[in-house]
Amino acid sequence: MNALPDRYPSDEPILREPGDGRTLAQRLSKRFAARITGAFVVPGREGSFAPLPEGLPPRLAQALRSRGMAQLYSHQAEAWAATQSGAHVAIVTPTASGKSLCYTLPVLTAAMTQHAKALYLFPTKALAQDQVAELLELNQAGDLGVKAFTFDGDTPGDARQAIRLHGDIVVSNPGMLHQAILPHHTKWAQFFENLRYVVIDEVHTYRGVFGSHVANVIRRLKRVCAFYGVTPQFILCSATIGNPREHAEALIEDLVTAITESGAPTGDKHVLLWNPPVVNPDLGLRASARSQTNRIARLAIKSGMKTLVFAQSRTMVEVLTKYLKDVFDNDPRKPARIRAYRGGYLPKERRAAEREMRAGSIDGVVSTSALELGVDIGSLDVVVLNGYPGSVAATWQRFGRAGRRQQAALGVLVASSDPLDQYLVRHPEFFQGAPPEHARIQPDQPLILLDHIRCAAFELPFIGDEMFGTEVATPWLDVLGEEGVLHREGDRWEWIADSYPAIAVSLRSVADGNFVVVDRTNGRQTIIAEVDYTAAPVTLYEGAIHMIQSVPYQVERLDWEGRKAYVTRTQVDYYTDAIDYTKLKVLDCFDTSHAGCGQAHHGEVHVVRRVPGYKKIRFYTHENIGFGPVNLPDQELHTTAVWWQLAQVVLDTAFEKRHQALDGFLGAAYALHIVATVAVMAEARDLQKSVGSGDGAWFVSADVTGRGQIRGADGQPAALAADAPFTPTVYLYDAFPGGIGQSEPLFNRREDLVAQSVSLIERCSCRAGCPGCVGPVLAADEDAATTPKALALRVLALLVAL
Amino acid sequence: MQAVAQRAPASDRMIPGSEIAPGLFLVEAVVDWGRPSALIDTAFARWEAPVAHQRLLHFDTETTGLAGGTGTRAWMIGAADWLADGRFRLRQLTTTTMAAETAMLRTFARWLQPDTVLVSYNGKCYDSPLLKTRYRLARLPDPLSGLGHLDLLHPVRRHWKGVWENCRLATAERELLGVVREDDLPGSEAPAAWLSYLRGGPAVNLRRVLAHNAQDLKSVAGVLLHLAALQR
Repeated sequence: MNALPDRYPSDEPILREPGDGRTLAQRLSKRFAARITGAFVVPGREGSFAPLPEGLPPRLAQALRSRGMAQLYSHQAEAWAATQSGAHVAIVTPTASGKSLCYTLPVLTAAMTQHAKALYLFPTKALAQDQVAELLELNQAGDLGVKAFTFDGDTPGDARQAIRLHGDIVVSNPGMLHQAILPHHTKWAQFFENLRYVVIDEVHTYRGVFGSHVANVIRRLKRVCAFYGVTPQFILCSATIGNPREHAEALIEDLVTAITESGAPTGDKHVLLWNPPVVNPDLGLRASARSQTNRIARLAIKSGMKTLVFAQSRTMVEVLTKYLKDVFDNDPRKPARIRAYRGGYLPKERRAAEREMRAGSIDGVVSTSALELGVDIGSLDVVVLNGYPGSVAATWQRFGRAGRRQQAALGVLVASSDPLDQYLVRHPEFFQGAPPEHARIQPDQPLILLDHIRCAAFELPFIGDEMFGTEVATPWLDVLGEEGVLHREGDRWEWIADSYPAIAVSLRSVADGNFVVVDRTNGRQTIIAEVDYTAAPVTLYEGAIHMIQSVPYQVERLDWEGRKAYVTRTQVDYYTDAIDYTKLKVLDCFDTSHAGCGQAHHGEVHVVRRVPGYKKIRFYTHENIGFGPVNLPDQELHTTAVWWQLAQVVLDTAFEKRHQALDGFLGAAYALHIVATVAVMAEARDLQKSVGSGDGAWFVSADVTGRGQIRGADGQPAALAADAPFTPTVYLYDAFPGGIGQSEPLFNRREDLVAQSVSLIERCSCRAGCPGCVGPVLAADEDAATTPKALALRVLALLVAL
Repeated sequence: MQAVAQRAPASDRMIPGSEIAPGLFLVEAVVDWGRPSALIDTAFARWEAPVAHQRLLHFDTETTGLAGGTGTRAWMIGAADWLADGRFRLRQLTTTTMAAETAMLRTFARWLQPDTVLVSYNGKCYDSPLLKTRYRLARLPDPLSGLGHLDLLHPVRRHWKGVWENCRLATAERELLGVVREDDLPGSEAPAAWLSYLRGGPAVNLRRVLAHNAQDLKSVAGVLLHLAALQR
């Protein structure tokens, strides 16, 4: 069954002696030169230090010294000076540079000397728990007498009262602030009256729709603080993004002092871009990224280096974990050296994994993006990315996991067959030179704004021409008055309805509850995992092999309504991979206008995501050994969209062949999507693009060659009859039920969007197309007479207003 | 929840009682009702000492709903106590504007003494926290904290849970006191009655809420006397 040898003789030179990231990078480059398309070094730097500030309470200074911190990094000292001057501060330094001390020092000092309170917001419960554990350790070391608590959905009811009254530092998340704290702010009166600092960590995750919601929750927080007569200072932290200060200022709507120079020492970071070797020159097929990732990770672990592998899906995490465990954990009497880490494990299991990683007893970790955030797992030597994570910022965040103080670290990006990955490894300069993406939010997006003005009115009446954020709230209050939830008396708008609006407003707009996985092996009834709603259809269908720490379980029954999957332990030599696709159908057209030779529309669409079946794939050989049907309800979404169409007669004149028109539409969709996300929200996942027929009969997806492939309503590749109607349509739709109001402004700016897409493509310096314009193209296309770029421009030219 | 387009005729907008502050009406009645002993036995609530009847203040609020949080308000507070001569006094505050809430809260605070013992039915979980929130929002000191509070729901549950169909006040008053209400406006309709009045509608249902609230207060007092008597 194990098709790969456990040890390649040719790997011996690499394994000969232990080394660091530099020596491993050199040995890999020498041995696998043909696979490495780019290699560069991000030079390390010396640490820059500063003494502990004078103003620290002696017991706090003592606690720091007893934990080995006799001096600060320069950015920590800068943060101290900035907070003491009263400024709002944003700290933007790499992973593991000691960011949390930047806010811990002022917060603890204020708590110890003035009984001042602090509110911490983290995007996840896991990070909140990490932070409290860290605070408690410091507290204990110095007997500081400061009380820190987490306050989240898991906090028991009887503990909540004590936390409200006695917590000096309350560590929570934006969702709890939104749904539990602000609507009950009177219960927190003492806390708010003494609130001095609001700490918001991982602010780079607050972008797009989620970030726009969070910005409004911050507006509500500031409003409630004003009621209690306080104006807390904000301390924000972020991983590297392109616009840290601008983003922090957008979130809190105030001036921010940004600290961006890290004083933490780092070793050199070696980066390799790795393209799997061609295994079938005739077909141009490459070996899988998975096999390469596995091999690199194996070599790194055998060389004695702590290694972290990032995979793009939960299934891939389990597959890679199994491969590594087969090599390193084949003796069940010894403690495990390989661990998987991903969402869906129970909190207890994740905590255990984090502890073991910090303690250094684990040699290899395979994770999803769950570890991208600041979960503290100690330092690592090597990070291997199984596929491009989709953005430059995320890539650097993941690479940032590797790096000890003085030692060189290694990051390897292994390209998958995805056109975007292939583009990147062919153009290392794109990656090397690309600035990290900008985080953008739009807190005044009308529906989001209305939701939060509704919640704010519940919390405190609006009086007179009160502002909410940057706008006078009055027009919105009139809307809510007409709806009957507010009552106006004199110049006051008061909440009058018997409802709790925050419950109906979800910050992340994800619906419908988690699934639990129940193990029924040998009559057991144990919950072994949780899976979120969107992942359930592709991982918990009946027949699926669901792997947990690489132990395979088979799904016997899926209770969709009850949100439960029943599984039993099994022994198989394959894993399963769901087939899924999405199609769109227009339900209602609100508005239509001419767009050059075609038309632009705005209206309601029906989006269907279907999982018709799954593939069984054998471990190691990855041969496809069978299919299984899946019988699940379609995941449906009613939302709003803007779309552009060209009539058949126009296309027949402009294009020789229909597939050229389709390729043109795919490229145009790619460019329009880039321009539109910047125009309205700038979070690609909030706005989706699709190319299909106007009547929902077929849709187009890019196949492995990057070419448009028509698929019928059943998702199978199809060909159109020569006389079949042909009206390709490019859709941009809100990826949220009911829409989040992006399509109307897009429709209003339709001419701009097309014009900007044209100039985006024209100004792009690539020849045939690239991820910066019409999407990545394959090498073969770069020489084609009709490049994807040219085809996309032809489509857009037909849509430009005359 | 649509706004009432036209105001009801003035005659239909009559609120009983005297307007003691703009938009705040007080109904007060003193009746011969019940026979409290001078000291009320509170062993049923596991209190050690009995309480002089003059110290008891029965109270019940009418609100805009059950959603909880800062958006729910009380628009009527009813309170009942025993006078020194053993007569039963009912006082009910009704607001007819939102702005009158502050005057209502101040008036109710004046009815409370440091040795007052509150008596309610589910007031510990509902009426009392709601009023504390309202005092906080009105920036007034909270007069309720620190007072003794006999919440009769809990002792009633201890005695009759599983015996009666439920332990609501309407059930307790029927089983223990033989009270049968006629033309009672269900408590769940009280929010709509006030809302409709606020929007210019008639006061007829508001007057029915007053009657309902008065009966609630009597029943709370009656259930207390019944529970106290159980111990002897």
